[in-house]
Amino acid sequence: MIRTRRAAAAKNLLRLLCASGLIMLMAAALNFVVDPLQIFRPARLFAAMYSQDSRMQNAGLIRSQDFDTVFMGTSLAIHFRQSDIDRRLGVRSLKLAMSGSNSHEQGFVLAAALARGAKRVIWEVDDWIFCDAPDIEANVYLPADLYRRNARGVASYLFSGAMARESAWILARSIPPIEPAVARLTTEALFKFPLSRVDDINTISPGSNVSEAYNANKTRAAFAHITDPVGSRFLAEGYDYDAMVRNFERDAAGLIAGHPDVQFDVYLPPYSILQWVAMRDASPSTLKIVYDFTAYVARRLTQFPNAKLYDFRAIREVTHDLSNYGDVIHHSPAVDLKVLSWLAAGDYVIGRTAPTASLDQLKAQVEAYRVER
Amino acid sequence: MLFNSYPFIFLFLPVALLGYFALGRLGNLAPVIWLALASLAFYASSNWQFALLLLASIAFNYVVGLLLISARLGSRLRFAALAIGVAGDLLVLGTFKYAGFLAANFNAIFSTGLTVNILLPVGISFYTFTQIAFLVDAYRGNVARYALPHYALFVTYFPHLIAGPILHHRDMIPQFERAEAKRPDAHLILCGLIIFAIGLFKKTCLADGIQPLVALAFGPNTPSFDQAWIGALSYAFQLYFDFSGYSDMAIGISLMFGIFLPLNFNSPYKAVNIIDFWRRWHMTLSQFLRDYLYIPLGGNRRGRVLRYVNLMVTMALGGLWHGAAWTFVIWGVLHGLYLCINHAWNNYGPAIGPRHAPAADLAAFVLTFLSVVVAWVFFRADSLPSAITILSRMADPTQIIFGRAEMIAAVFVAVYAGIAWFGPNTQTIMGYDHRNRTVGEALGAWRMRPAFLYAGAAVLAFGILGIQQHSEFIYFRF
Repeated sequence: MIRTRRAAAAKNLLRLLCASGLIMLMAAALNFVVDPLQIFRPARLFAAMYSQDSRMQNAGLIRSQDFDTVFMGTSLAIHFRQSDIDRRLGVRSLKLAMSGSNSHEQGFVLAAALARGAKRVIWEVDDWIFCDAPDIEANVYLPADLYRRNARGVASYLFSGAMARESAWILARSIPPIEPAVARLTTEALFKFPLSRVDDINTISPGSNVSEAYNANKTRAAFAHITDPVGSRFLAEGYDYDAMVRNFERDAAGLIAGHPDVQFDVYLPPYSILQWVAMRDASPSTLKIVYDFTAYVARRLTQFPNAKLYDFRAIREVTHDLSNYGDVIHHSPAVDLKVLSWLAAGDYVIGRTAPTASLDQLKAQVEAYRVER
Repeated sequence: MLFNSYPFIFLFLPVALLGYFALGRLGNLAPVIWLALASLAFYASSNWQFALLLLASIAFNYVVGLLLISARLGSRLRFAALAIGVAGDLLVLGTFKYAGFLAANFNAIFSTGLTVNILLPVGISFYTFTQIAFLVDAYRGNVARYALPHYALFVTYFPHLIAGPILHHRDMIPQFERAEAKRPDAHLILCGLIIFAIGLFKKTCLADGIQPLVALAFGPNTPSFDQAWIGALSYAFQLYFDFSGYSDMAIGISLMFGIFLPLNFNSPYKAVNIIDFWRRWHMTLSQFLRDYLYIPLGGNRRGRVLRYVNLMVTMALGGLWHGAAWTFVIWGVLHGLYLCINHAWNNYGPAIGPRHAPAADLAAFVLTFLSVVVAWVFFRADSLPSAITILSRMADPTQIIFGRAEMIAAVFVAVYAGIAWFGPNTQTIMGYDHRNRTVGEALGAWRMRPAFLYAGAAVLAFGILGIQQHSEFIYFRF
């Protein structure tokens, strides 16, 4: 009796394992056919959909999009529209900016994009991206193997239930009778691929209230927050000059030197003056590290024939107008367009003969600025 | 190493099982040693230094346990040995878990600038409690002399080591000593695999699935009334499916080795009062706190007032056991208060007539659930002020957004509530009976119901497909 039961159980165990394997294979097949990230081919059978999760989405964009220019940066560069970049700079761009990204992530993604033939890089560079740049293999948010498209990366993509859910959703959105209903139900809270246009990835939607998001009150409130006794502790977090230089050499200088045929247009973004004043008042040692580090970056980048450094940090009419900001660093879409204009016109380029001239201007502005209480 | 990871499912577990049953042919001891070594490897894979601490803790407690079991010591010396053993355990736990907390409070009062940063060894609360129970029972004369390999396996046994269930030596070591457990039993492996699959599905599909909605309340933005409720409810369900999923996985894995682990959850959100809730939620912790804290404090034997005091002390310490933060203490105190009110109601409250019983039961069920959700806000919040902010938003219906995203999220939460309130739990589905060591007695009927088997296969497949790269169990932190 017990033996019969065990034999039946063994048979059932085998059935269960086989059926599980089959279901997983079916999910993998669905992911392969729909290919939400467009890793294997640009979307043809099904409507292309895009995710706001740029660390994941970029792996597919690099594979599926036509581009000659890459736009990289942190949240400071995330709201740019590719169509604006293309129009102002006369390029075919691909925006790969990632919120909160560090230099190692940016360097890794840029290298993957350059391997696909990009000839120009526009790179928004913040000093803090060089503070802490851990190994890419230890980064659980960036699917490095998917960028490399090795067996592990492809397997993790194909055998992903979350991706299979997205595939099924995209499949449903491609069936005409139910497409409108599915589209209405598509919300980012539940589905990771809610966008149908690549130009809309991480941009501010046209209907949103820009003046509510970017105004002087918010900027001053952010300043008050980061200079209070609790917030000011974070101002100095992770700043170590030697480590920053090491990370810069590995992730930026190394990449530029390794791609002599690619033009690198690096820019230091126009933070509000309050960002600098916060450091001046609450953490002067951090401010000195940032000054010293960016002086080093300026000297170093001007040595490369294929690199240009733009310094927008001391443009008073922008940085002193607090209504341009949502906090002490993040500028409005209007400033996005100004940045593109300056890049197009070649304004504020750092020269080899005076690499710290604009930094000296910034220092003077920071020194002179008095906060309205 | 996580249960919800490919290396564990496709490498560690099959190798551990194969080695265990292969060595089972050689005798009764070799598989025990193998499983203890495998468990140590499992633990050391995340941090080998902490494995040394675990080994030292086992050696210390085993030696103290031997002294207590030995009849040669006089009663005063035995008590001294117990005191040294328990104090040693609490000292290690206190150093690793509470030193930073104490330093932060000391600093807040005296502004000393003192900071202590000590990495918390995974599972230290669980293996410390397990061994304190062993020492106390040894002192009480309730422990037979155990062989070191069996004791070491009892502490390190990898299905429970990281996040419980909190095991009892009297339940586990006799099972480790049984020769039958060393022979593969396809029935137990099949049942264990399905229980594991259910747990994995709960974790990777249900708990991880609802996790993004938790940020509506506990994220960086101040929530509206609806967002605060959706986020708080989402956390209540995330925590339940996460932790009960882990417990199911532990039970399922252990069953494959022929070892029955105690149940840790019994549909806690179906509870109709707080006493009932604590008989259903983290049951092994409740039993531990009752047997080794509440009863030694006096329990209900010293009058009603002291009973309530004992309840409050037990629950406050239970809260502190979960984490070194005031939010956990408040959570524990709140539950202590709930329990006191519940006991007081039982003693002094009006009797409900049978006519009103269904309505009263429904009201009690709703009140219990809401009370638990309110307490979870303290449990989850980063700080007391943020918990207060969220709770104040939950109490302020003037601030409502309820846009499309909130509506869909509310539907999502309702589905989870439906599963938690009306769905059968794992032990009901599988007929798991820990006390009688039986499971899947209805297995014979499965041949007539292949749909059940294939549903199990689908649950396993979706559970594996749902594995994400960055998804720890919430209770790993405790």
